[in-house]
Amino acid sequence: MGRLFAVGIPGTISRRKVSAGVLGCWGARVLGCLGAVVLSAQVLGAQTGSVTGTITTTAKGLAPVRVTIDQKVCGADLPDHAIVVDAQGRLANAVVVLTGVKRAAAAETTITNDKCAFVPRVQIVRPNANVKTTSKDPILHTTNAQLENGRTLFNVALPIAGITITKPIGNAGNVRLSCNTHPWMRGWMVVTDDAAVVTGADGRFAIDNVPPGTYELRIWHESLKSAPQKITVTAGKPTDLAVQMK
Amino acid sequence: MWGAWCARCHAGDGSGKVNEPTITVEPMDFTECKVTTPEPDADWERAIAKGGPGVGLSSEMPGFEDSLTAAQISGFVSHIRGFCKEAGWPSGNNNFPRPIITEKAFPENEFLLLPAVNHTRKRQAPSLTDVSFVGVYERRIGKRSMVEFAVPFASHDHSAFRISGLGDVAVAFKHALYASSAAPRIVSLGVEAVVPTGNHDDGLGHGTFIFEPFITAGALLRDWYVQVQFKSELPANTDRADRALVYNAYVGRDTSAAPNTWTVGLEFNGENRELALTPQVRKGLTGTGALAASLGVMIPLNERQERGVRWVGYLLWEFLEPFRAAK
Repeated sequence: MGRLFAVGIPGTISRRKVSAGVLGCWGARVLGCLGAVVLSAQVLGAQTGSVTGTITTTAKGLAPVRVTIDQKVCGADLPDHAIVVDAQGRLANAVVVLTGVKRAAAAETTITNDKCAFVPRVQIVRPNANVKTTSKDPILHTTNAQLENGRTLFNVALPIAGITITKPIGNAGNVRLSCNTHPWMRGWMVVTDDAAVVTGADGRFAIDNVPPGTYELRIWHESLKSAPQKITVTAGKPTDLAVQMK
Repeated sequence: MWGAWCARCHAGDGSGKVNEPTITVEPMDFTECKVTTPEPDADWERAIAKGGPGVGLSSEMPGFEDSLTAAQISGFVSHIRGFCKEAGWPSGNNNFPRPIITEKAFPENEFLLLPAVNHTRKRQAPSLTDVSFVGVYERRIGKRSMVEFAVPFASHDHSAFRISGLGDVAVAFKHALYASSAAPRIVSLGVEAVVPTGNHDDGLGHGTFIFEPFITAGALLRDWYVQVQFKSELPANTDRADRALVYNAYVGRDTSAAPNTWTVGLEFNGENRELALTPQVRKGLTGTGALAASLGVMIPLNERQERGVRWVGYLLWEFLEPFRAAK
């Protein structure tokens, strides 16, 4: 047994799959080797933790927005997705950020103007990523990206369907998207290189492969608030948080 | 395409007044010739291409440069010009940056402050510093004319003492005789009357009325501004002041397409036999260029015994222009 570890079998130190440990297992008896592999697998799985949970709220969904212009394309009204909540109070479009755990999101992302709404409404974007704005609607949209301090980062006109315009997002923080021809339209980009995930319709979030330690968990939502919380991640022990937003 | 893309904020008739606006600022009224005709086409093309912030205005106007060609943008500008239904207004393509001494041909609505500091250093004599300020108010009249009031204040250094006070007030009238839109060229005629309000004994005024007819012209030749002026100074009392012929020429160039860009220039200034060169720079101080400043140095080429180097410049405020973006 001791001789196995002294050789420095690849796979026991890094977080590789069990098969790597098997490959490096030579110079020892087969049975003892298998035992070493099983033991190392248990050590591997227990080295990181995860942060999971459900976001809920007592806030109610909103009335539809009235479409004041271009009704032929947008319809007479549109659902207001500023708060998307189901009958059990589970909240979608909340962004859960685990500060201190760096994780790269996509270097390029797309925001689509589709039937007079920004799709996706909320997304996570890596700093300095390229944002491609495009439109499927045969009417003039303007994608106006503003920083939290009100300054406009860019405002591009999309006069016809099928045009794609690419702009860099820089280190923007939280970016609000609006349209100067359809004032009810809203979109958001949370620009961060921390581990982050957007809740779906079930309000669930899961951030895996978190090294053990203490972190700050922040949750961003365009309409609701909750206080940041300190959480401790232990290897092998899953968390299952229940967070209420107001 | 105006109806499909522009009318929702600018209105079908270009007035900027729509029933249910989707933006919070009110766009410029393109039917108001007084406000629109002084604007050069290049500034409007830049607003369409880069959006409002490209010309110091609201970011609610998006940029179209990624979806329209330069030719299409030019076409839109031509369409917008059509909203001003009155003929006879001189095109803003002739509205060149103002030189410091040479009078510009385009009529303006603006306030100006023109400081000048003259420093003469004579051998075996103490150096003298003269300072003057001129406050100027220019106001357009009708489509092509302008009236101007200038109030000078001077401070003369007599070494042992200094005399300061009001100089000779001047009133001027200028009219743009010819202004083309396509190849920018403009010619204006004017006349200035100098009133002897400055104390002649103190050396602050000429002590006589002076009648000063002038002609001024400008052209844009391949991105270079060329402006010239000829003026005749005819005093009523030739014992008190001399007749003079004044001739000025300016050549300058913008360093970028932004309305508040740096503009560099050189003037050649002559009065009778006294010649000078005045290199200068000008800068718009707000995004729209409604506030601007210029600084130059007037270097005498001859007759240097009586004339030292003079620091000259102006601070300018076009009071009908938007100062900066509303949002």
